[in-house]
Amino acid sequence: MMELLQALEGSAFSTWLRESPSIWAYPTILTLHTVGLGVLVGANWMVDLRVLGFARAIPGSVLTRAFPMMWAGFWLNAVTGALLFVGDPTTKGTTAVFMWKLVMVAVGVALMIALKRRLYGREMDTGPASAGVKAIAATSLVLWIGAIGAGRWMAYV
Amino acid sequence: MSEALVVWLKATPVSEAMRTSQFIWPICETLHFIGLALLIGGAGLIDLRLMGFLKSVSVSAVMQVRKWAALGIAINVVTGVLFFVGAPDQYIENPAWYGKLLFLAVAIVNVVIFETTQGDRMLRLPPGEKTPISFKLAGAVSMGSWLLVLYFGRMLPFLGNAF
Repeated sequence: MMELLQALEGSAFSTWLRESPSIWAYPTILTLHTVGLGVLVGANWMVDLRVLGFARAIPGSVLTRAFPMMWAGFWLNAVTGALLFVGDPTTKGTTAVFMWKLVMVAVGVALMIALKRRLYGREMDTGPASAGVKAIAATSLVLWIGAIGAGRWMAYV
Repeated sequence: MSEALVVWLKATPVSEAMRTSQFIWPICETLHFIGLALLIGGAGLIDLRLMGFLKSVSVSAVMQVRKWAALGIAINVVTGVLFFVGAPDQYIENPAWYGKLLFLAVAIVNVVIFETTQGDRMLRLPPGEKTPISFKLAGAVSMGSWLLVLYFGRMLPFLGNAF
């Protein structure tokens, strides 16, 4: 595994990602990763908060419209995140906090899909969400806080 | 003047705590990113509606998420001030920091002008109704300026000297 990471780190593309002085290399990838975070987590939090009973004037059925935006943020960050990993594989690939971040993102996305399925069931058009759906929303909200924290912490290991 | 401010700020206990604690700075950064996501989620939703998307929801209903955007701004102003107090020298001569402050000012002036001139009209606009051009403009200026605040914030270490 370590040999694989070292080979990746020695590649010309990895070196370019890490060392290019261009503003369009590392700084732009990092900025796009931050934009993707804001779109994915921001849209997911608004849906979570609505499911939990805030902003009730917004009809439950329109919440499904937020999911394409979340997916756009997710894919932007999957691509930019992969690039950030390729630029620094031996450190990130061996850091526990990075593994934790990946686990929290994976569970966060799974909860996002679970929530979407239930919203398509129009559960919230007739009244407040059930306790089960609220539990999904609350867990999602907390997991994204954890993923953001883990992402920030990676700068310090 | 700015030299004296930097020296004075760095001598404060808050500034010293920001620099010497292993945990305070990363925790403030995490809070700053949480605030960023609340702001993009909340203000982004309102801006999209003002620009004419999501017409099936009334503008007044969408406005119910405004408090979450405001919470995001509040978190980021507090943590942002803490960063500045902690290491004023890395911002005061940083061109990206002035870019960030400029577009923060644009975003705030935009929302104040919109609320004072169009606030009543906005709350009366029913679901399904198209938004007038003044609403679209305010939404676009808001979204553009917040994204530029994010851009210049993220560029602090690259256009300037911040860590």
